[in-house]
Amino acid sequence: MSESKKILDVQNIHMRFNSKGICVRAVTDVSFTVNEGETIGIVGESGCGKTTLGRCIVRAYEPSEGTVLYTAANGEVIDFLRIDKKTMKEYRKEIQMIFQDPYSSLDPRMTVLDIIKEPILANYPKMPKAEVEKKVMDIAAKVGLNTTYLKRYPHAFSGGQRQRIGIARALVLNPRVIVCDEAVSALDVSIQAQVINLLHDLQKEFNLTYLFISHDLSVVEYISDKVGVMYLGKLVEYAPTKALFSKPLHPYTESLLSAVPVADPTVQNERIPLEGEIPNPANPPTGCYFHTRCRYCTETCKQEAPAYVELEPDHFVACHRARELKLRGFSYDE
Amino acid sequence: MDNNNIIEVKDLRINIKIDEGTLTAVRGVNFEIRKGETLGLVGESGCGKSLTSKAILGINEKKCKAEGEIWFEADELGRVDLLTLNPRGKEIRSVRGKQISMIFQEPMVAFSPMYTIGNQINEATLLHITKDKKKAKEISLEVMRKVGIANAEKRYDQYPHEFSGGMLQRALIAMALVCNPKLLIADEPTTALDVTIQAQILELMKSLQKDFGMSILFITHDLGTVARMCDRVAVMYLGKIVESAPAVEIYKNPQHPYTQGLIGSVHKIGTKNQERLFSIEGTVPLALNLPAGCGFYDRCHKRIEGVCNVYDPSLVDIGEDHKIACFACTGCPNAPKNQEVTDK
Repeated sequence: MSESKKILDVQNIHMRFNSKGICVRAVTDVSFTVNEGETIGIVGESGCGKTTLGRCIVRAYEPSEGTVLYTAANGEVIDFLRIDKKTMKEYRKEIQMIFQDPYSSLDPRMTVLDIIKEPILANYPKMPKAEVEKKVMDIAAKVGLNTTYLKRYPHAFSGGQRQRIGIARALVLNPRVIVCDEAVSALDVSIQAQVINLLHDLQKEFNLTYLFISHDLSVVEYISDKVGVMYLGKLVEYAPTKALFSKPLHPYTESLLSAVPVADPTVQNERIPLEGEIPNPANPPTGCYFHTRCRYCTETCKQEAPAYVELEPDHFVACHRARELKLRGFSYDE
Repeated sequence: MDNNNIIEVKDLRINIKIDEGTLTAVRGVNFEIRKGETLGLVGESGCGKSLTSKAILGINEKKCKAEGEIWFEADELGRVDLLTLNPRGKEIRSVRGKQISMIFQEPMVAFSPMYTIGNQINEATLLHITKDKKKAKEISLEVMRKVGIANAEKRYDQYPHEFSGGMLQRALIAMALVCNPKLLIADEPTTALDVTIQAQILELMKSLQKDFGMSILFITHDLGTVARMCDRVAVMYLGKIVESAPAVEIYKNPQHPYTQGLIGSVHKIGTKNQERLFSIEGTVPLALNLPAGCGFYDRCHKRIEGVCNVYDPSLVDIGEDHKIACFACTGCPNAPKNQEVTDK
């Protein structure tokens, strides 16, 4: 991964939603970089802004502030959030999304063929029909769909099959970056494994870059090269997977890791409880957002927001006490 | 019936009439739950876990026909086969919600949005314990405190939409525990929750189990929570139990190819990344017009042609408290004695 080049450079993204005079800060000042061919996992509890971040990056939402520098296939670096609609259409082909719920993200009135075909028709309206068909067939076969069933409607497919349809739809334009928003969360474990393997194979074949948003830490640990942890709209830690899981630097990451159920009854890891609930993002706490639930909290934490710094090579964290704390993670056997 | 058992399910079969024919959703399930233990019922969606648990309470839809025996040690009725009771009768109602209660999957859906939380928890108390509304409220408040709902007096008068997911699940547990049941059925109680909240709820259930001395039937597809919660595990596939063993044994020494597949398809943090996850090919078939032989035949990587697609394996003891239904593991009898030949 050493020689790979930067494909996404996300800088200081803010997303604020205003409703009835209340301003909800869904994403606050998130920055990270992604190299080509990597998988980045984004984890956090529900309501922490993972999905919003993903949608900001594909520009399904218009972020309030920030830039997303994207290195296009032709080597040009563009600010994905500043370009006009017309140019964006050009580049959006290269950034696609797989949605969470395979049941509600497919139009029940369209056949599977039409669903997979739609992105092509929208982007290449002049492509000859036969060529379109061929493209759809190829991609459907690639993701493991039986091509004789493509004239059917989504309801005739099982959850895992539907997720494959969603993947085919995202892949049909030959994207370079795919944002997977809880792409396997709704599936049974055995099907989950199938889909994860598929994503893995496709990544190798097409040199894809994934932004993998999930609340399932063991899936993220398996699939990601780097992981970002979000809390209340902020990225609190960002590091290579193994470093993050074995040596977390942020107290929130520590308690998140301790809560993961391990499929082994002999492992009874002691949980570090998080007291209380996530504060209201419309009225976040002062200082460090996490201080209300942090067991290492000091006076400074209550007043000053910690800076997001690179404490160790490639290991970013936002915590006043990250340097002194010895936090517990998973022990890796070699 | 063994005195140590709180419930014994014998040869439970559930058929569902649908337009295309009869679905055999549960095909001869046997298990027992001992006093004070937690049994995990594991399997993918569509394998009949929920139907089995609902059959115990007699709350399946009318089109589901259950056969077999479900023996339960009831308070007033003594030993009773729950399936023989009228599902709308007085007897089952004295058991349902009082001696056996259930926590449903999605707390947001399980509560009625029209009534206050207190009102809904009270319902069981008023039905089973006391007719005095004041007393009922006291009992409800006490249980709410026990499950860790802070500010119980205020929460009592609130509506479900004012609760967060984790709090609502606590309220649901309070509702299930208010009558001090002997058996608690928990149907995917933490699937809809975040890991941190999930860990809280599981710990809560464990400590309450100690306090109340009840047995738990824990239904889930998540092998991680099973490892944390259960004493014994029964793995279900296509309406049958294919393997059952103590929890430690099943993770250390899984025998059935399906169990191995399930465990293999979950990545364990801290282990070396294997190139690919182990995955079971295909999907669970619809239990309609099932072919003869083992239900797992099509997806099995150890299948023996001529045996597994001809005979249907039944559960055989292979070790201490470890049972398995698989010819590839227990040896394949050419002329099986106690296996019924299902040729058609």
